[in-house]
Order: sequence, then C-alpha cells, then structure tokens
Amino acid sequence: MKLVGGRRVFSVEEVSARLARMFEGLRSFWVEAEIQDLRPARSQVRFTLRGEHVLDASMNGIVYERLAHKPADGTLVHAYGRIEFWRARGQLSMRVERLEPAGEGLLRAQVEELRRRLEAEGLLAASRKRTPPLLPRRVGLVTSAEGAARDDFLTNVWARLPGADVALVGVPVQGDEAPRLIARALRHLDALADVDVIVVARGGGSLEDLMAFNSEAVCRAVGASRTPVVSAVGHERDVTLCDLVADLRVSTPSAAAAAVVPSQEALETHLADAHESLVRGLLRARGRAAEALGHRSAALARALRGRGELAGDRVDRLEPRLGAALARVAARAPGELAARGASLGRAARARSEAAAGRVERAEAMLALLSPARTVARGYAIVRDAGTDRVVAAAAATAPGQELSIEMRDGRLAARAGEGER
Amino acid sequence: MSTPGAAEPEGPPPTFEEALRRLDEVVARLESGEVGLEEAVALFERGQGYLAACRERLAAAQRRIEELTAESLPSAPDEPPEEAGEPPF
Repeated sequence: MKLVGGRRVFSVEEVSARLARMFEGLRSFWVEAEIQDLRPARSQVRFTLRGEHVLDASMNGIVYERLAHKPADGTLVHAYGRIEFWRARGQLSMRVERLEPAGEGLLRAQVEELRRRLEAEGLLAASRKRTPPLLPRRVGLVTSAEGAARDDFLTNVWARLPGADVALVGVPVQGDEAPRLIARALRHLDALADVDVIVVARGGGSLEDLMAFNSEAVCRAVGASRTPVVSAVGHERDVTLCDLVADLRVSTPSAAAAAVVPSQEALETHLADAHESLVRGLLRARGRAAEALGHRSAALARALRGRGELAGDRVDRLEPRLGAALARVAARAPGELAARGASLGRAARARSEAAAGRVERAEAMLALLSPARTVARGYAIVRDAGTDRVVAAAAATAPGQELSIEMRDGRLAARAGEGER
Repeated sequence: MSTPGAAEPEGPPPTFEEALRRLDEVVARLESGEVGLEEAVALFERGQGYLAACRERLAAAQRRIEELTAESLPSAPDEPPEEAGEPPF
C-alpha cells in the first residue's frame, strides 16, 4: 500500500492476499449441485458445480480416483469442501474433499449398499424362496388402506376365488413412518396362524416413493416371515429390495391375486375331470374283469366265483363295495354335476353336461349289461347245473341234462327234455 | 407316484394341495389301465375321499375381509427404531 496524492493505493498482490485471508476463515460445508464440464486429470480434477449460478471446483486427482460412485456431467452431487481464493487468477473455487451422489443417485447408492449386505447374508438366495400354498385359508394383505392397489387386488382375488378370506393391514406406503409400520404389519400377519400367504402391494412411483420398500426394516421383516410373502411393489421396471427378499415377485396387484389364490372355476373343472376319470377307470376295470372271464352277459360276481379266478371271499368282499361305488356314481354324479353346472359359466356348464351325459350313458350301459335286470323283467337264465355255465342255445343241451333256471325270485332245478335241436 | 393301495396313509390329508396331489395320483394310476378290479375299486374309493376333501375345502371358503391399520397394532417390544444410519460411503 502506498499513498499517492492522498490516495491509498494497493497492489494486486495485497488485495488478493487480503481476500485469501478472508476466505481462509470459512468452514467446510456441503453443497448440492449438478456436475458440469468435468475435466479429469491425474493431479487435479476440475469441474463446475451448477445450480442456477455456477461455482468452479476442483478435487485432488487421487481422491477422485478412489470415489465409489464417480459422477458424470449432469450428476446431482453433494460436494463437501471449502472455498479457496486463487490468488494468481483472482478466482474463487471450491476445494472439494468429498463427493457423493445426491437425489436419485444417493438413493440408488443406498439401495445398492443394502442389497449387497442382504445378499451377503444370503437373504436373496433362490433356495430361500418358498411356494405359496395353492389354496390359502386366509390371505394377508399389506397395502395402503385407500388405494388402487388395494382395490385391484381385492377385485381380482374375489373374481378368482369368490370365497377368499382376506386380512388387510393398512399402512402408509411412503414417508418416514412407512418402513416401521409396514414391518409391523408383516409381523402381525405372520403371527396369525391361519394366514397362509402375505401380499405386500403398492402401485408404481419414483424411486423416492418406493424407498420404504427398499428399507432395511421392511426387508428384514419379509426375510424373517415364516409365512411366504409375495411382493407386488411398483411396476415392471421398478425392482425393490422387498421384491428381491420376498418369496415371489409380481409386477402388479392383480398379478399378486393370481399368484395367491386359485381360480375356483379351473379347480372345479379339474376336480370334475378327476371325478370322470375315476368313474371311467372303475367301469373300464369292471369291463376288463368281465371280459377276461368270458362272461360278458353273466352276473359279474357269479362269473367271478364260478370260474374261480378270484377267491370267493374276495369277490364277496369286493362286490358290495363295487356296487356301492357304482351306486354312488349313479346317485351323486349327475346331481353334483348339475349343481356345479348352475354355478359356472357357459363353457364350464357345457362341459358339466357332457360329463353328466357320459356318466348317464355309462350307467345305462351298466344297466343293460346287468342280467339281473333282464331277469327282473321276466326273462330267465338257463345254466348247466353241473358247471353253472350259461346255456344259451337249445342245441347245447342234451336230453336228460340237469339244468338250473334262474328266475326273478330264485332258482329252479330242471331237466332237459326232447326238443328241436 | 407313490404306490397306491393299502400302503397309502389313511385319514384326510393335511392340505388342499396334498389332497389334490393324491387325487391326481389315484386318477393317473386308475387310468394307466394296469389295475385289477379290486385295486380299481380301492382307488375309486380313495379318489372319492380326496375329491370330497378338496370340494369341502373349496366350499368352506367364506368371503370375508378384516381391515386393520398398522398404527392400531401394538408395536413389538423388539421393534427396531426408525433407521437413521450413516450414509453408506
């Protein structure tokens, strides 16, 4: 400083030194800004921190190289450092010591860090995944008490299984309280003995909206649940950690409904098919047995006994059961099928009627085959008294042959006489 | 497929899918065409039992909904406090 004609005149160096001293006293601070004009270099990385205004910044090249998440132009960051005054150029610049992603980037980094930890603990392992039961006694649902997800899920569950029983716990799905309360809801439902599967549902949203489902509290509650958990959080592209820890991940609440309850119509069709198969199988086995004995037109039990192919007591034991089984088929099947037909859609009804028709035809065939029915109508069956074999033709008898005639009310011994043979 | 016949445990199977699985096994066995009349009757009877069990379970479902809010539930004594950890890097 010098005095020139009463003026105090400073040199540039004096000014910059004083400015530098002013800024030396400033503490380090965090600033949120977008990275721009990134110029990496080995010793010194220079860039611009942009808000509405801009701030020059630099960072030690070695520190920069060690960053876990290197920014690119446009990345929103939190930068920690202090303002320095560069005397030589008369410029202010931020000396950055720490640089971290902010906003979505920060959330993503947090999610990634938690994901690594959960994975290291084995909580994401495929071997932990359990299959939800086909027909749960009760379905637990954790979702927003008022929301499209709740309505979507319930509508679809009841469309598939009209008798579905749902235990719903309403939760806030975002905000500070959400992780704790979602975890609490999960624990509550897991503790209910008759809840066989739990669904966690939420519509899509930004990463920030979905953060509760990326929280450690929720992931741990899902991981600890003894009841299988189905996660339906966000849309196809939003995968949350809750999805990864859950036993099953689906992309929408309606898909969750399909995952946790069976379609009653499909199940009933399956059961009706099984019923038909049982009936057909029984009739086939009966037909085969009769055929094997060569006595298609004779009473089954008598034929079996007569040929001695099965021990008599087995036949005696079997015949009432077979009779009862067939009687059940006759008595119940058409009624059941008709009752079901009334409750199902047209296609299923047509199926049921066809099935009922098949059962009825099978019954009619059985009735036709039954010689007992024929005898009841007034016909008689003639057998050789010695062999008990049916005598179907006069030519097969000889005069004097001992015969046994089966009639409606019993048997009659007879002897063949002369005839036109 | 397990061997059908007397070896199969009696009594109602514990779950719906167990009943359904056994029903399907019985059907497959009966449809294989290799069963004698006696076994066919036994299979038929068992199949009817599983069928009845399945239908009973289906019919037992009563449409119901219970709605609670998480705020109304007691917090577990070991409920961890809200996360407030250090940033991970």
